[in-house]
Amino acid sequence: MELENKTVQPEEIKAEDVKLENEAPSTEEDDIVIDVKNVSLDFYTRDEKVDNLKEFFVRLLRGKLERKKVRILDDISFQVKKGESIALIGHNGAGKSTMLKLLTEIYEPTEGTVKVKGKVAPLLNLGAGFDYEASGKENVYLNGAILGYPKKELDKKYQEIVDFAELHDHMHIPLKNYSSGMVARLGFAIAIDADPDILLVDEILSVGDESFRRKCSAKIEELRQKGVSFVIVSHNINEIKRLCQKAVWIEDSKVKAYGEVNEVCAEYKKYCDSLKH
Amino acid sequence: MDNTNAPKLLTRIKEFFVKKAASFKKNANIVRELVKKNVKIQYRNSAIGAIWTILNPLLNMLVMYFVFSNVLGYKDDKTYALYLLCGTITFALMRAGTTQSMTSLVNNRGLLTKNKISYFVFPVSNNLSAVINFAFSLIALLTVMIFVAFFNNVFEIFSPNLLLILVMVPALFLFSYGLSLILSALYVFFRDIQHFYNVFLTLWTYLTPMFYKVDRFANSEDLSAKFITAVINLNPMYHFVEFFRDAAYRCAENTQFVANCGEIINGVGTSEFWGELVKTNGLQKAMEMLETAQMYAPLPGAQEILILYGWGIGAFLVGTLVFLLTRRKFIFYI
Repeated sequence: MELENKTVQPEEIKAEDVKLENEAPSTEEDDIVIDVKNVSLDFYTRDEKVDNLKEFFVRLLRGKLERKKVRILDDISFQVKKGESIALIGHNGAGKSTMLKLLTEIYEPTEGTVKVKGKVAPLLNLGAGFDYEASGKENVYLNGAILGYPKKELDKKYQEIVDFAELHDHMHIPLKNYSSGMVARLGFAIAIDADPDILLVDEILSVGDESFRRKCSAKIEELRQKGVSFVIVSHNINEIKRLCQKAVWIEDSKVKAYGEVNEVCAEYKKYCDSLKH
Repeated sequence: MDNTNAPKLLTRIKEFFVKKAASFKKNANIVRELVKKNVKIQYRNSAIGAIWTILNPLLNMLVMYFVFSNVLGYKDDKTYALYLLCGTITFALMRAGTTQSMTSLVNNRGLLTKNKISYFVFPVSNNLSAVINFAFSLIALLTVMIFVAFFNNVFEIFSPNLLLILVMVPALFLFSYGLSLILSALYVFFRDIQHFYNVFLTLWTYLTPMFYKVDRFANSEDLSAKFITAVINLNPMYHFVEFFRDAAYRCAENTQFVANCGEIINGVGTSEFWGELVKTNGLQKAMEMLETAQMYAPLPGAQEILILYGWGIGAFLVGTLVFLLTRRKFIFYI
C-alpha cells in the first residue's frame, strides 16, 4: 500500500496542478477562501504508548522503538468559494474532524497545502477553553482571548454575549455549577460573536433546549445571508442539504466523493444502506 | 522580472510581520487572562482570600524559625527571620513556576487540541503568576523587616539596595521560565518526569542554603564540606537567594552596588573626566576612574548580577531551543 502511494502520487499531483492552473484564471482565484490541495496527514504512534522513561529505555535497548505511521488523511483536495458552504460527511473516525483541525492550523499537513483566507472561527467543541473553577464572566474573557478578540472589543460585546446565552443571573458563579446546556449556550454565544469569514462547525447544532436551538439556527441563517462560508461536519443529512451547496465524503481517510451536495449525499446514503444489508 | 518581484517580496515580508504582530497580540491577551484567572482562583472559596498570598510565606517562615533557630543555633542572629523568609520566597517563585508549568500542556490538552494557541502561553502565564505571588510575598517581607528593625534595633537593614530586587526578578523569571519550557516539553513525552522532578526539588531545597548558612562549611578542612561548598556554588538558586538577601537587608555587610554606581556617576560627572576624554587617552582615563571607584567600594553586586543573568538567559535559550525543536510533535502526545 505504502509503496504504491508513494510512486503514484507525485505524477498525480503534477497532472492536477497543470489542470488547475489552466482552468482557474486569476480573477476566480480571489473568490476561493479555502483551498485544500492534495493534503495528507500522518500520525506517528507507537504500538503501545510509551510514555514513561523505563519503558522507553528498555525498548531503546531492544531496538523496538519503531514508530508506526498511520495515515489519517490521504490526498484530500477541495475548494470553497466565498459565501459557499461545504459539508464533510462520512463515518465516525473517517477523518472529518481532523480535517477541520487542519483548517484551523492546529495540525500541519504532512503533505500538500491548506490555504485559508479570512477570519476563521472554530466551533469545534463548545467550551473546550473553559475553566470550570472560574466564573462565567471570567470564562467569557478567557475564551474570547483564545478566539482572538481584543480586550476592548470584548468589553463591548460582553453584554451581547450574555444576552444571547440568556445567562444574566449566572455570570458570577463558577462554571462547575452550570448545567451542561448552560455551558454549551455560553460557548456558542462566545464563538458565534466572532464576525467570522469562515465558520467551522463540528456537530454542535444540537445544543441546548428547543428554543435555544431555534435561536442558533436563526443566527446561522443570518450569518449565511451575510456571506459567511461554512464548513460543517454533521451526520444530519437534512441539515447539510439545507445549509450547504457542496459536500465532501471522506471514507477511510480518502475522498470518496466530492461535488454537489445532493449527489454526494445520495451516494453516501446508498453506501450506508448497502452496508446495512 | 525583478521589478515585479521586488514589491511582491516586500509586501510578503510586511504581511509576515503584520501576521506575527497580530498573533503576538493575541497570545499576550491570552496570557493576561490566564494570569488573572490563576491569581484569582488560587484562594477562591477561602474566607480571607488573597490575604493568604501574604500570610502563607509568613506562617511558613515562622514555623521554620522556631524549628531551625534552635536546632541550628542561629538564636543570636538578629536577622535570621529575614534570612529564612528571603530564601523561601525566592525559591517558592521558581518552584511554583516550574511545577505548574510542567503539567500545563497536558492539563490543557482540551484547549490545545481544539484551538489554535501558541504552546508558549502556558509556561509564560504560570511563571508570571508566580512572579505576582512573589510580589505579594514582598509585603510579608516588608512587614517582617519592620518588626525585626524595631525589636532588634537594626534599622540599617533599610537601604536603597532594596531596589536591586527589581534587577533580580527578571533574571529569576527567565531562569524559571527556561526550566519550565524544558520540563513541560519533557512531560509531554515522559510522564515520569513529574515524580523525578518532585524528588529532585526536595534535593534542590536542601542544597540551597535556605535555613542553614554556607559559612558553616567555609573554614572546614573536611573533604565532604568542601564538596558541598562546591556543589552549592554551582547551584543557581544559591546565587539568586543570596543576591536577594544582599539586596533586601544585608547592604551594610556586603553589597554596595548602589553606592558604587553613585561613585562612578560622580566620576563621570567631573570636568576632569571629560577633559581627558577629549584628549587621546580618554578611554584609558575612564578605566582608571572605574578602578578608583572600585577601590573605594568593590562591586560584588555587578559580578553577581552577571551570574544571575548568565543562568537566566542560559536557561531561557536552552529551554526555548528544546521547546521549538519538539513542539511540532506535542499535538500527537498530549
